[in-house]
Amino acid sequence: MTLVGPNPGLRISEEPVCLEVVAALQAHLDGELAERDAPRIAGHLARCARCASEAATVREVIDRIRRQRPALDLGALGRLTGVVERFGGPDRPVRPAP
Amino acid sequence: MSADDRAQRSEGTTATDRDVEQRFREQVLSELPVLLRVGRRLTLDAGDAEDLVQDTLVRAYRAFDRFDGRYPRAWLLTILRNTHRNALRKRRPDLMDDEVAHRIPDQGAAGRADGVPDAALHDELDPIVRTSLGSLSARHRAVIALVDLDGLTYKEAAHMLDVPVGTVMSRLHRARAKVRAQLEAEGITGAPR
Ligand SMILES: [Zn+2]
Repeated sequence: MTLVGPNPGLRISEEPVCLEVVAALQAHLDGELAERDAPRIAGHLARCARCASEAATVREVIDRIRRQRPALDLGALGRLTGVVERFGGPDRPVRPAP
Repeated sequence: MSADDRAQRSEGTTATDRDVEQRFREQVLSELPVLLRVGRRLTLDAGDAEDLVQDTLVRAYRAFDRFDGRYPRAWLLTILRNTHRNALRKRRPDLMDDEVAHRIPDQGAAGRADGVPDAALHDELDPIVRTSLGSLSARHRAVIALVDLDGLTYKEAAHMLDVPVGTVMSRLHRARAKVRAQLEAEGITGAPR
């Protein structure tokens, strides 16, 4: 399986109807629609108050879930950054100690 | 990297080596946070996560000449996943492949799978979201964790979980719908931020 590229599972028609927009809303808000399809959904949302309101609610739920993201282990991140910077042998530029 | 380059490498660092090493650093450094997050989910332990990411980096460095340079995150996540599975298989040869695949996270919601409360890591200001994430099934929690908390794409999450992309999408949809229903039951969608 290729890990990148637009989601092949969704095909959005040129003038999507509300049902289609709501079905594609999650992928749209997650930035997972193809470049061609995202403006079609966005265009509908700009014209349709009902779908726009649904989109705002879904957006809010996603945002609130995402704020539960655990803090990153900054100590480990710093050590691993050091590991990556040491790859490459003895004549790497010496980095001043912080 | 050619065999010649490799021979030179053992003698000293060449300009080409330095280019390669520079490219490696550029491609890998910005992906360290996501590797650490996903590594933490797979291992459920901060120290193990760091070790796993470090092993992943060593393997990635060795395999760098076979990497086409596109989508470093996808490439690194694949190595992370395989490194984790190999380590797990060594430690727990009794586990089947799909058990290994589904050993993704209970962490990131109500607490860690090992039962150690980890409340300090979570947003104390939104207990309803926190509680509803905690009440999700492990499968639903896994997609929320990888996509919403760790920032993977649908395809990356599908790859980590060994399920089709469509399954990630439907689980994500159901999981978020449950959180939404909880928020609506409390009458607080559209609540102030
Ligand atoms: Zn509409």
